[in-house]
Amino acid sequence: MPEWVEILLRSLALFLLAFLLVRALGKKHPAKMSPFTFVVYSAIAVTAALTALKVIENFIFGLVSLAVWALTPLALDYLAARSKMVHDLLHGKETVLIKQGKIMEENLKQARLTAEELLRDLRAKDVFNAADVEFAVLETTGDVNVLLKSDKKPITPHQMEWKVLPQTEPQTVIMDGNIINEGLTNMGLNQGWLAVELEKAGVALENVFVGQVDSQGELYLDLFDDAVQLPQPKVRELLYAGLEKAQADLVNFAAQVEGEEAKNMYAGNAGKLEQLLARLRPYLLR
Amino acid sequence: MTVGSQLKQTLASLRGARGTMRAYANQARDEEARNAYGEGVEELNAVIGDLEERLKALETAEPQYRGL
Repeated sequence: MPEWVEILLRSLALFLLAFLLVRALGKKHPAKMSPFTFVVYSAIAVTAALTALKVIENFIFGLVSLAVWALTPLALDYLAARSKMVHDLLHGKETVLIKQGKIMEENLKQARLTAEELLRDLRAKDVFNAADVEFAVLETTGDVNVLLKSDKKPITPHQMEWKVLPQTEPQTVIMDGNIINEGLTNMGLNQGWLAVELEKAGVALENVFVGQVDSQGELYLDLFDDAVQLPQPKVRELLYAGLEKAQADLVNFAAQVEGEEAKNMYAGNAGKLEQLLARLRPYLLR
Repeated sequence: MTVGSQLKQTLASLRGARGTMRAYANQARDEEARNAYGEGVEELNAVIGDLEERLKALETAEPQYRGL
């Protein structure tokens, strides 16, 4: 067997093997690896390449080494999932960099992080003022995660005691002019519904690049032809405005009408509508 | 515009709102939202009923406005 054929066969075999091993090792993104994982991946890559090129002459030796580098991490991962001690030993422990708003200089030194780097990592988290940070931690992957002081955190509807509409994920029902049946069934809709909605919008299916249904059941369409202006669904806002108008009308009638009974009827119903508007506001406007 | 035709307009817009809301009560995915819309439909039913009665009374009192 000429040497090049041998290298070809070795390379193919090791390519497949390395592919399978790396898949078996998990889904961790290379940029989020702990140093230990990085060493494992590098060792597998180097061993596979050296064996393929016959730098390691004996194919079996290469395989043995590969097996050790792949199986040991798997075993260690298994142990790490069960024991916190093993996990910390393997992947290290996160370091607290800022605690109760104070920078922990000792921990910074231990992590070999300069003040400059800490500030850079904070800026990467959109924190330009170190005084805004209550707590920051250096993860084992090298990321810095930040907990802002409670008065510097963005306001949430919960804090404002606002009720907001629960929103589920939108479903894509049209892609590149093709109907995605999975999205439709997920929303409990069918092609007949879609056909009606498209007709309402006055658009042919072939002209739609992306169509999505939001959790309110409204269809958003993006067309291939960007010159065409499509009215975006505003039904909820219109419904709210319509009810508001009707409520104002009733108040008006109550003021104009003669006779106690009719006046009370109008005023009572105006009150009902006002309450209804207040109740529906989170669903229709937010 | 007479009171009767103004009332008819308001009634029409309320009926439209009720229709939209009924559609929402069926298509919203969230249980809470569905219930809110459903209750809204009920409430609108009551309001619309009251106004329809009033309209009828107006039309009997002043037959010349009937059907306008």
